[in-house]
Amino acid sequence: MKIEDVVCPFCGCLCDDLVVEVEGTRVVSVENGCTLASEKFMGDHRLKSPIRRAGKRWEETSYNEAIRETAEILCDADRPLLYGWSGTHGEAQSIGIHLAELLGALVDNTSTVCHGPSIMAIQEVGHPGCTLGQVKNRADVIVYWGTNPIDAHPRHMSRYTTFADGFFLKEAFRDRKVIVVDVRKTESANIADEFVKIQPGGDYAVLSALRAIVMGKRGIIPLSVSGVSREQLFRVAALLLSAKFGAIFFGLGLTMSPGKYKNIRNAIELTEELNRHTKYTISPMRGHWNVYGSNEVFTWISGYPYAVDFARGIAFYNPGETTSVDVLRRKECDACLVVASDPGAHFPKACAEHLAQIPTIQIDPHTNATTHLSRIQIPVAVTGIDAEGTAYRMDGVPIRTRMLFKGNYPSDTEILERLYALVKEAKGL
Amino acid sequence: MRVILQTKPRKNPHIPIEAEAVIPQNFLRKNDIRVYEGNKERKLEEIFYITTEGPAVSPDQVEIVLAGETGTLKRVGEYMNAGRIVVEGDIGMHCGNFMSAGEIIIRGNADAWLGREMRGGMIRCEGNAGHYCAAGYRGEKRGMRGGTVEVMGNSGDFTAEYLCGGEVRIHGDCGDLTGVEMRGGTLIIGGNCHRPCGNMTGGTCMIFGNADAMLPTFRSNGIEEREYEGQRFQMMVFRGDVANRGKGTLLIRKK
Repeated sequence: MKIEDVVCPFCGCLCDDLVVEVEGTRVVSVENGCTLASEKFMGDHRLKSPIRRAGKRWEETSYNEAIRETAEILCDADRPLLYGWSGTHGEAQSIGIHLAELLGALVDNTSTVCHGPSIMAIQEVGHPGCTLGQVKNRADVIVYWGTNPIDAHPRHMSRYTTFADGFFLKEAFRDRKVIVVDVRKTESANIADEFVKIQPGGDYAVLSALRAIVMGKRGIIPLSVSGVSREQLFRVAALLLSAKFGAIFFGLGLTMSPGKYKNIRNAIELTEELNRHTKYTISPMRGHWNVYGSNEVFTWISGYPYAVDFARGIAFYNPGETTSVDVLRRKECDACLVVASDPGAHFPKACAEHLAQIPTIQIDPHTNATTHLSRIQIPVAVTGIDAEGTAYRMDGVPIRTRMLFKGNYPSDTEILERLYALVKEAKGL
Repeated sequence: MRVILQTKPRKNPHIPIEAEAVIPQNFLRKNDIRVYEGNKERKLEEIFYITTEGPAVSPDQVEIVLAGETGTLKRVGEYMNAGRIVVEGDIGMHCGNFMSAGEIIIRGNADAWLGREMRGGMIRCEGNAGHYCAAGYRGEKRGMRGGTVEVMGNSGDFTAEYLCGGEVRIHGDCGDLTGVEMRGGTLIIGGNCHRPCGNMTGGTCMIFGNADAMLPTFRSNGIEEREYEGQRFQMMVFRGDVANRGKGTLLIRKK
C-alpha cells in the first residue's frame, strides 16, 4: 500500500511530501525523501521487548516489570534527570514535564547540545524570524552561517531556498544569491555565490565587523578580521544590503563555537541592523525533527524551553547550572531517564561515564550507544511510522505526523502515561 | 555573634545544597532554617554541625563561618543585607546573589555566578572564580549594579557580563568575552583576557595584562596614564563597541 503526504521524522525540515510504501508492518520503499529519510523509514534494528541488565548480560523482561522498576528508581532518587525528548511527539513530551514536576526532577532536552545558545540569545534580544514559506516565496539573499544543509538538512535548499522557485522568484537558482560562511569549504559552500572562510572561533568578530559596516562605520575595520579580508567583508555587506528580502540560517557552527549564545546575539543584532535598510529574518537550522516542539512544550508548561529544574517544586532555569551536560559532569544526578535521544553517543566522556555509574533507563525504539550505559531499555513505536503525534518544524509550524501502520509496540505516550500513574501512586497523590 | 557551620558527611556529596537561607539576618531570629539537598528539604542541622558563640542584637553583628566540604553549597549569602560570611574553603554557585550590604570572604575558589546581580556590599575571593563572575541572570538586561567584587586569582568566561555599576577587580586572568554587554561600572583586570567588552555601551574596563583577540569594532582614542597596585602605567584608550553604538571606555596597558 502506498501512502502519500507522509511527514518525515528525521530532521527539523519535517518534509511532508513523502510517498511511503508499506507491506504489513514494514516499510518497503520511500519516494521523495533524502537518504537520511530512507534510512529512518527502512531501518529495522529494533528491540523486540524490554531488556534489563542482569550482571554482565541482558535479559528480556515485560513492559509491566520494566515500567515498575523504572518508577521505583526515579522515586528513590534525590536528583533524577529526565533527558532527551526531541525524538518524540509533543504529547509524550507533555507527560514528561508533568512527570518531572511530580518527581522534583531536572528535565532537559537535546537543545542543551544544539540550539540552546540560540534560545538564550533570543531571550536577550528577541527573534526576527519567519516561516520557511516566506523564505521560499520572497527571499532573494540567503545566508547559511555555520551550517551545511546539503549534508545535514538535504532538502532544505530544494524545498525552501536555492533551488525552490517561489511566488516572487520564478527562477530561484538565478534570482537568489547565496552566501555561505564556515570554517571549511563544505558541499554547500561549493554552490554559494560568496563563500566566506572564517578562522575557527572568529564568528563574533566578523559579525561585529559586518554590523559596523552596515551602519556606515567602514573606516574602523582593519585589513583582516578573523581571516576574512576587509574587501570581502565590504562585498558581503553590499550583497546583504542588496536584498529585497534576506534570510539568514545558522547552525551549530555558530551556536557551539567559542562565544556560543553571544555569537547568535550578534547575528540577531546584525539582522536588526539590516532591517533598518531592508527586510531580513534569521532562523536556526534545528536538527532533531521535534526539538523545536520540545522547546514549545517545555515552555507552555514550565515557562522555560529546556534545562528546567523542578527540585524545589517550582521551575528554575539556568543553562550552565541546570543543563544535563553540566549536571552529569558534576556527578549531581543519581538516576536518569533517557527518552528518544542518545546521550551516550553525543555527550562528553565524563557525562557518559556518570550515566553508566547511576541507574539509567532508556525509552527508545532502537539499541544505540546509550543502551550500553543503561540498566533498562524499553522499546517503543517510532513516531511518524507506527505512532502518531504532533511535531514542530524548525520554523515553529506544527505538523501532525502520521501512523503508517499499526505495529506491535506501545508509543512513548502510552509508556510515559503508565510510568506517571505509578509515580503518582507511589507519591500518594 | 559567631555561627560556625561545619558540614556533615553525606551519602552523596556531589548533590548540591541550596542554601540561600544561610545569611546573617536569618540567624539573628533563630528561625527554623531549611536548605534543599536535591529534591529533599533538610533542616540545617541535618547538613551542618552548628556552633553558636556570643550574642547579637542586629544582623551586622552576625558572622557566619562555613567550614568543611563547602564547594557544593549554592546561593550562600543570597539577598544578604548585613553582617559577614567567611567561607574557609571553596564555595558553590551563586554566592552573594543580589546581596545589598555586608561582606563575604572566600578563602578558596568560588564557582560560577559569584555576586550575580549584586547591589552593594563586598565580596572577596582569595582563590579563583568561575564563569559569570559579577554577571547577570539569563535574559536579565542588568548585571551587577553596586558594591565590590575582588578576586585574587583568575575568573572564567563572561566575567562582569552586563556590568551596570560597582567595581569588579580581578587580579589574575579572565576568560573569554570579559565585560561583554557592559553598561556601566568599572572592571579592572590585572592579568590577561580574551575578546574583552564585546557589545559594551558604557562603563570602564582596564586591562593591565594582554587583551587577546581584540574585537575590530573599537576606536582608538589616545593614551592615558592609570595606577594599578601602586604603579603607574601608560594605557591605550579605546571607545566602543562601535558595532553597538557604544560609548564605553576600554583601556589596555601599552607594552
